[in-house]
Amino acid sequence: MLTIESILAMAPDAASAKAARGLVAPAQWPLLGANAQAVWGACQGSGAKPYQTQVDLNGPAFRCSCPSRKFPCKHGLALLLMRAQHGPLFTAQEAPAWVSEWLASRSDKAQKKEETRAEKAATPVDPQATAKREALRWQRITAASAELQRWLADQLARGLGSLNPEVLKTWHTMAARLVDAQAPGLGQRVKEAALGIHAGEDWPERSLHRLGLLQLACEALARREHLGADVQADLRTLVGWPHDKAEVQDSGEKCTDQWTVLGLITDDRDDKLTERRVWLQGAASGRRAWLLDHAFAGKGFEQAWTPGAVVQGTMAYFAGAAGLRALALDTQVLNQAPQWPTAALGDEWQQLARRSARSPWVGLHPLVLCHAVVLHTGQSTRAVAAQQSLALDLGDADTWRLLAATGGQPVNLMGEWDGQQLRVLTAWTAPNTAPVWQRSAA
Amino acid sequence: MNAPASVWAPLLPAAMVGTDRHAAALPSWPGAVGRLLEQATQAAPDAPDAATAVLRASAVLAACAQAGAQGAQWTGPLPTPCADDTLPEPQHAALNALMAWAWQDGPPRLQHELCVVMARAGHRLPTALLPVALDQGRRAIALRPWLLPVLGTRGLWLAALRDEWHYAAGVVAEDSDEARWTDGTAEQRQAFLARERVQDPAAARERLVQALPELGAKERAELLGTLAVQLSEADAPWLDTLRADRSREVRQVALGLLLRLPGAAHPTRAAQRLAALVRQERALLLKRWVVQAPEAPGEDWKADNLDAARPQQESLGERAWWLYQMVRQVPLGWWAHHTGMTPAELLRWAASTDWTEALLRGWRDVLFAAPHATAHATPHTDWCRALLNDWPAKGLRDESSAVLALLPAAEREQHWLRQLTNGKAPLAPLLGQVLSAWPLHECLSEEFSQAVVHALQHRLRQSAAGVLRDDYLLRSLLPDLCCALHPRAMAALATLPRSDDETPSVATTLHTATQAIATRRALHAHFPT
Repeated sequence: MLTIESILAMAPDAASAKAARGLVAPAQWPLLGANAQAVWGACQGSGAKPYQTQVDLNGPAFRCSCPSRKFPCKHGLALLLMRAQHGPLFTAQEAPAWVSEWLASRSDKAQKKEETRAEKAATPVDPQATAKREALRWQRITAASAELQRWLADQLARGLGSLNPEVLKTWHTMAARLVDAQAPGLGQRVKEAALGIHAGEDWPERSLHRLGLLQLACEALARREHLGADVQADLRTLVGWPHDKAEVQDSGEKCTDQWTVLGLITDDRDDKLTERRVWLQGAASGRRAWLLDHAFAGKGFEQAWTPGAVVQGTMAYFAGAAGLRALALDTQVLNQAPQWPTAALGDEWQQLARRSARSPWVGLHPLVLCHAVVLHTGQSTRAVAAQQSLALDLGDADTWRLLAATGGQPVNLMGEWDGQQLRVLTAWTAPNTAPVWQRSAA
Repeated sequence: MNAPASVWAPLLPAAMVGTDRHAAALPSWPGAVGRLLEQATQAAPDAPDAATAVLRASAVLAACAQAGAQGAQWTGPLPTPCADDTLPEPQHAALNALMAWAWQDGPPRLQHELCVVMARAGHRLPTALLPVALDQGRRAIALRPWLLPVLGTRGLWLAALRDEWHYAAGVVAEDSDEARWTDGTAEQRQAFLARERVQDPAAARERLVQALPELGAKERAELLGTLAVQLSEADAPWLDTLRADRSREVRQVALGLLLRLPGAAHPTRAAQRLAALVRQERALLLKRWVVQAPEAPGEDWKADNLDAARPQQESLGERAWWLYQMVRQVPLGWWAHHTGMTPAELLRWAASTDWTEALLRGWRDVLFAAPHATAHATPHTDWCRALLNDWPAKGLRDESSAVLALLPAAEREQHWLRQLTNGKAPLAPLLGQVLSAWPLHECLSEEFSQAVVHALQHRLRQSAAGVLRDDYLLRSLLPDLCCALHPRAMAALATLPRSDDETPSVATTLHTATQAIATRRALHAHFPT
């Protein structure tokens, strides 16, 4: 059963969560029903006809007849909240046509998708043409990266101290050229490096760090063909050339396990793009997996994940030396207590060191901090565990909720380590118990 | 974590100035990283130019720093964690979710009720709601005395971490009473003093005498107010000295308290002074009372807190100003005793004199001087009733609801019930008056609540959608009203009529009202009285 916090965490924004709460009133719902597969309800909105709201529990996936462009919309969230708060009101058990048809079409769609994929796999592609296209793209990228390397050396020859807004404009030009050369990932890194100049007291050190990694990228790209397949795959990710998901699904390394959702976060990227990162850990394999999804224009994510939930399924890992990013296949939520990791901090750092050494361009690492005390001192919030202190990256409201939840007692934290700070996502106190805290939706 | 700044330091001169102008060779670094660096920057056959060497050095340092990440070393002590809570948290998921809404977006009256009911049931607020509840307490001072008892050990511990919440963080719940006095917040000190006053009035006064000189004006005035508890003649001498306090606020509180001690020296002098001005005159066969304003200031005025100089913005003339000040120093009881008139008669009489405003305002000030009438002091219900029955056409700037609020609850409700049933008063303004006068932590009686619900339903039956759309006042009062009704009377409003074309503002208001009722029903179901 979903908890109220986890339902609200699926909201695309705070306004939707608030609106959904406002709809948790039995009077608003002339019809409420549920079976093992789905919950559905009719919500009296502002129109004459009530909205038909339904949630496929295997997911969960949402659908509503309201015109809202938010996804999931407030009605879908409110329906789940109603289910959590007023379970006995869901009296209908026979799914009406509008529910059963949708469920059927969903499994149809999944099947069709599978068929198209099989078909596509069966269609002989011209391997020669593909190879030629790819070779051409690599050629362009390699040329651009050689240019980038010369350009980087020019900047260092002139000195970072002399950079002024006028010169920094040329950095953005460089970034644009990399995008033109089909290496948007490198372009993004140059842009970030430009934004980091003069930002913060230690900007020279941080800038050298960024430029150093760019230099490493250029040198690796220059000798790409002599590198291992994993590193080559990492370079493809690095330049911003997405891996084909169908290919990952077919030929990626597979791992079937019971996965505990360690944490998740949604970030607004540009005005219209929302990024969601979900971190999982397999119970038997002990492997971690990272799911990365994007949604445009407030349209939400097909599948919702809840921290602390246990999901049976297969991870298909993307190629690459880090071995983190994966696609989740054939998932099914189990009604089970979470199986939290219990690694010692030293082992966590060791894992991170190995991963980072193999794949130095990975910017985010999952980190579990067991038996940590959350401290608030003046302006900063820190977690102290095993005689080490880590700065936490947390919003104000989240900080105070986390402090309230811990009461200064040691807790277990999971978060994303970005090299500087731990962006905490989840906190739990005991094995096999629901989280006591989770990061709120942005 | 990035490598410590010192690791980067040797690279900085060349990187900042530029390798064109900074020709020195790269320094070396110790250990394995140093060897790798050397290999990367100097090794033949492709020994790079100076700029590329800096970049390669940066590449090695960045990659190694990332891989060698650790937290900063922590050797300091950890603060003591929060002690275990003695109060349990409510464990009802549905109720907790509704409470989350109530603390975030609910009407203040609902938040008061949550506190009162939790306290009565011996529970504290759910942990996850402590930050938002503390934030509400920061904004609403009136909420604080109700909030503090349900914060629990965890809430008080949390409050101590944040400056904005220090109002709640004085002392820990389990600390001794004495600590509440020495280290407590203003509210806690006041509560402590009031309690001691009940048990040992003289000791509490003595404690205050000792403490007062060290305090600021505001705190002096607030603490002095607690002397109203068990006030007696024994307090009079000290109160008399406080009439000369350097703070106007403190002087006012002292004078207000003295008004409740008619036998004390100052009220006695004030009554004598006024007796000379309020006299009976014989005109033909009739006896009538006349009042005169003073002609000139007396020499003893200053010592008795009478201000000869009229303030610039004052609407009263100079002599009226003098009279007004004298009236406000005399207990109301004196008037009945001196003239034999009832409050109603006195009000009519005042309207017939030349000094109406001075008299009314003086009386009003005395009436409000100590609004929290204790059992010991007369609550002047006769004066309130007289004012409410026949509100003076001019002279008073207050709303009648302010006076109504001085009456005991039952009597106030009777007053409103009469107005509600005689159908003369329009519903919305009357409800507005009821809500603004009713304390936030109490709900209306069942009888009166039923009458209100009945009247409301009658009003809505005409055209629910239209009424809610057009009667802005009624609509805006609805959420607060839903929180003030007696729990047994609110069921009828659980489903408010909704319509297809309601504006966002109507929809929000109705949501809040329905949600408030849902919260209260869940609350009272789990914690029955």
